[in-house]
Amino acid sequence: MQTLIALVDCNNFYVSCERVFRPDLIGKPVAVLSNNDGCVVSRSKEVKDLGIKMGVPVFQIQQLINQHQITLFSSNYTLYADMSSRVMSTLEAFAPSMEVYSIDEAFLDLTGVCHQDSIAYGDLIRKTVVRATGIPVCVGMGPTKTLAKLANFAAKKWCKTGGVLDLSDLVRREKLMRIVPVSEVWGIGSRTTLKLKQLGIHSVWDLATQSSQRIQKQFNIVVAKTVLELNGISCFQLEEISANKQQIVCSRSFGRRLTGYKDLFEAVAEFCSRAAEKLRKQHSVTGCMSIFIRTSPFNSQEPQYQRSATIKLVAATQDTRILITAADRLLKEIFKTGYGYQKCGVQLSQIHSESMPSQCDLFDFTDNDLPKDNRPLMTTIDQINRRFPKAISIAATGFEQSWKPKSERISPRYTTDWQDLVCVK
Amino acid sequence: MTLTAFTLLLPTPHPCVLAIPLFSGKVAAGFPSPADDYVEKTLDLNELLVQKPAATFFVRAQGESMLGVGIHPNDILVVDRSIEAVPGKIVICALNGELTVKRLTRDNEQWQLKAENPNYPDIVIHEELDMVIWGVVTNVIHAL
Repeated sequence: MQTLIALVDCNNFYVSCERVFRPDLIGKPVAVLSNNDGCVVSRSKEVKDLGIKMGVPVFQIQQLINQHQITLFSSNYTLYADMSSRVMSTLEAFAPSMEVYSIDEAFLDLTGVCHQDSIAYGDLIRKTVVRATGIPVCVGMGPTKTLAKLANFAAKKWCKTGGVLDLSDLVRREKLMRIVPVSEVWGIGSRTTLKLKQLGIHSVWDLATQSSQRIQKQFNIVVAKTVLELNGISCFQLEEISANKQQIVCSRSFGRRLTGYKDLFEAVAEFCSRAAEKLRKQHSVTGCMSIFIRTSPFNSQEPQYQRSATIKLVAATQDTRILITAADRLLKEIFKTGYGYQKCGVQLSQIHSESMPSQCDLFDFTDNDLPKDNRPLMTTIDQINRRFPKAISIAATGFEQSWKPKSERISPRYTTDWQDLVCVK
Repeated sequence: MTLTAFTLLLPTPHPCVLAIPLFSGKVAAGFPSPADDYVEKTLDLNELLVQKPAATFFVRAQGESMLGVGIHPNDILVVDRSIEAVPGKIVICALNGELTVKRLTRDNEQWQLKAENPNYPDIVIHEELDMVIWGVVTNVIHAL
C-alpha cells in the first residue's frame, strides 16, 4: 500500500488565534510581536502583502503601521497554547498516528485511511478544523514527510489549490519541483542552499535528481536522506512520542535595562523556576546548569558586557531551590556593576530520566549549603500551580519582577481565564 | 462514637474538572459504609455541558436581547463550534465584526437572526450583511 503522509499547518497561527475572538479584524492587517514587543513574529496576509518580512523590528516599520493602521498584538502564549491543543486534538480523529511537529503543525499518517480521494479527505480536515476551532489550516500530502512539507508550502502559496495538495502523483510533483527554489525544502537551511547553488542546484527538481550517494559525500547524511525523501522513499519516520528534551533553555529580554544585582537575580531565579518546571514535567533531572547575562548588542553607545557561567551539580536534581541557589553562586561570579543588562537566561543540560538513580547520591556528604532535593515538595508545588497558576513561587523570584518583558498589546486570555471571556451582545 | 459526615470535595487529577461525589453519607466508626460498594463514579459537570472539548468555548452574555430564552446579562454561555447551525438553534455569530447571540431562523427561504425579546428588532440576513456563524449555544450558566 502506498504510504500517505499529510502535514497540516495552521495559517498565520498567532494572528488567526487573535482573530477568532476579534472577528472585526478579519480582512484587516494584523501582526503579532515577539516577546518584549520587539519584532514581528506572525503576519496576516494583508501585512505580508505590504512587504513586511518575518522578524522585522517594529521600529523599522512604524510608518507602515501608522499608514495602514496595522493592529499589533503582544504574543499571548497562553491563548496560542490552548488553541494549539484544540487544533491537535481535532486532528487526532483523522489518523491512527500523528506527530505534533510544532505549535501549529502536525504530521498525520493517512496510509490506508483515505483510499481514493485524498483531496476530499484533506478538504474535510480543513473544514472540520476551521469549524471546530476557528483556525484555518492547509493540508499538504505525499508519500514522505519531506514531500508532505513541500505540498503544504505549495498549498499555502497558491490559493488555486484550495489549501489542499497531494504530491503522490509523479507528473504533478515534477511540475511543482521545477518552479520551487531548493531553499523551500524541509531541512535545507541557508548555508546548505548557498553551497547547493554553487553546485548549480537551484530548484527542488535539481536536488531531487541528484544521486543521494554523491550528495552524502558532499554534504551529509541528512541532505542525502532528503534527496531520497523527495523521490518518495521514506527516511524520516513519524515521531509520535515527543522525545524528552536534552536541553532546556529559558531566556528572555527585559522590559527595561537592569543594573542592580537584585533585579537581575530575580529574573534568573524566575527562569530557574520555569526551567525546573519543564524538567519535572518531562520527569527528568539535570546535572549541569549554565546562566548567561548580556547587555544590548543593538546599542553600541552603551558599554558592552556578556558572560556565561556553568556549574556541574553535585547530584542531579529537579528541585527549583537547588537550581536557584546554584544560580546565585554563578551570577555572583559573572555579575559586574556599571552595565545595563538587557537579557539573561538559564540553560539546563545533562538531562536524565528521574527514575535513573543519581550516581552522585553516594557521595552526597560533601556539599554544601544547597537544600536537599525534595521531589514530593516540588510535585506538590507543581500540582498547586497547575490548578492556581503562579500561586506558589520561590521567594527569590521576587514580587515586583521589574524585569518582565513589555507586552503592552496583549489580548485577554479568552480561553483560560473566567475573567477574560469574550463578550457577546 | 459517630463521626459527622464529611462532604468530600476531591481534588481532581485535571484542573478545571470539578467532580462532585455521587454519595456522601454518615459513616459509623469501625464499620465500612454499606454504600461503599455502590459508589461508582463522581458527577462531572463537564460531562453534562461539554461534548467536544476541543470545539467548546465559553463566552459571556451582555444585554437583554435573549431574555426570552433565559439568557441574562453576565451569564456564561457554553458554545460548541462543531455543531451545525440549523434553523431554530441559538447561535453566536459575527455580525459586521461584532459577536452577537441570536436565534437563527428561516421562514420562506428567508434567513433571520431573531432576538428573544420584543424590544429588539429581528435582523434579516442579506448579501451585503457581513455575517459569519461562530458557534452554537448549547447551555446557559446563570448564577442566582
